[in-house]
Amino acid sequence: MNATNATINPWLISPAEMNDMWQGFLRRVAMMPRVAGIAEKVRVGATPAEPIYREDKLRVLRYESDVEKQFRTPLLVVFALVNRPYILDLRPGKSVVRHFLSRGFDVYNVDWGVPADGDRHLDLHDYIEKYLAHAVDAVLDYTGTEQLNILGYCMGGTMSAMYTALHPEQVKNLIMLAAPVDWSDRDNLLSVWTNEKYFDVDRVIEVFGNMPAVWLQASFLMLKPVSNLIEKYFSFYENMEDEKFLEDFFAMETWLNDNIPVAGEMFRQFVKYCFQRNQLIQGELRVGRRRVDLKNVTCPVLTLTATNDHLVPCGQSLPFNEAVGSTDRKAINFAAGHIGMAVGSRANRELWPKVCDWLAERSEKI
Amino acid sequence: MARLGGAAPKSSGTPEAVKQMRQMFFDAWAQYAEQFMRSEQFLTAMKQAMDNALAFRQQMDQFLTQGVRNMQMPARSDADHIVLLLRSLEDRVMQRLDQLDARVSAMENGAGKRDQAPTKKRGR
Repeated sequence: MNATNATINPWLISPAEMNDMWQGFLRRVAMMPRVAGIAEKVRVGATPAEPIYREDKLRVLRYESDVEKQFRTPLLVVFALVNRPYILDLRPGKSVVRHFLSRGFDVYNVDWGVPADGDRHLDLHDYIEKYLAHAVDAVLDYTGTEQLNILGYCMGGTMSAMYTALHPEQVKNLIMLAAPVDWSDRDNLLSVWTNEKYFDVDRVIEVFGNMPAVWLQASFLMLKPVSNLIEKYFSFYENMEDEKFLEDFFAMETWLNDNIPVAGEMFRQFVKYCFQRNQLIQGELRVGRRRVDLKNVTCPVLTLTATNDHLVPCGQSLPFNEAVGSTDRKAINFAAGHIGMAVGSRANRELWPKVCDWLAERSEKI
Repeated sequence: MARLGGAAPKSSGTPEAVKQMRQMFFDAWAQYAEQFMRSEQFLTAMKQAMDNALAFRQQMDQFLTQGVRNMQMPARSDADHIVLLLRSLEDRVMQRLDQLDARVSAMENGAGKRDQAPTKKRGR
């Protein structure tokens, strides 16, 4: 009975507990200089990487590893254009890249760079058929192989799917991580907000040129306002004495606040053709002069979805497995959020070893 | 109310209870916020706010463009025109290179010659 009372009645705070809370508050205040020191010292990007290719603002990074290479087929990680790609290698113990390196894969990452005002005219064709195609060529040239594995995350997954459909001969295996391909399910908040009736993307791009980072960041924050603007800071207060928590927290905050603008024409086309007209899954999307037919994707496909993904619900990713021409296709639905899939402790413990196994079974050994 | 006067638990369960209450409050608040941000009223207001912000920004841009033009200086729109011009030039050069590439390949095939290394498409 007391337990029930305790659950529903917050007013039963004894003087001793009040005293504990007050002392806890004072301890945390006293810790502020140390917290600031940790915030200053926090580093993102766990693994050293060297650029092997540069073009305009794009860089292809190769991750260094002490582990002997086990597989001939390299892995190229393709992240979205809205944030920086180091989320997949945020910190030791929270690095998807490290999982693959420790299994003996040769891992590369596409860093799209930060578009400037002059890049507003870059479109889907530039990103898929120029930058991504050249990044793939660079990795193939560097490794002397004819095919590579691609891991595409979020919008980077969508772009990877488009690329694979256009150049199936170059992709040995495709992993889609929380990547949307079908926007017919318009139930999530982002789809509601990008509805043509309320969001005139043409006018936004006409006025701003590139899609401003601050708008993107505000939109992502407002998708979960209570969690992002209030709950997070309560959690921070309660864990202020845990150094490991603080390091993870500040690393994550660094990434979350490191939004970049998206090239205007690319953003316009992506929102209009994908979010608003849902052309990709219907086989109507064109990149330059070529139509993107997902049936051309014939390599093994692994689709990873997150149960609590508020950005890309499972319903936007899973149809990919039905749309492709592959016979070897698998989907894993994991209990995590959109970002938790990459940096969550449980995902790093349980999901990524399985993904490495899947890829290892399908990659050419040395 | 009767419960308020009851015996307080001696363990440190009460802060946990506060946390639970707080969580319930946040969950309810989050649910309300989500419903509100889906409502027609919010979406209409969002669109209006966006339209106003864009109109203001456009007016500012026009004003600044006029100002720099009056001073015989190039504005952002002029730089945009140059970028567009360069892009169309690049496109045309790439197309021409692709055509030349195709013609050279056809000639080589016709002569029975084959390159050892596969040629890459330049412009894609």
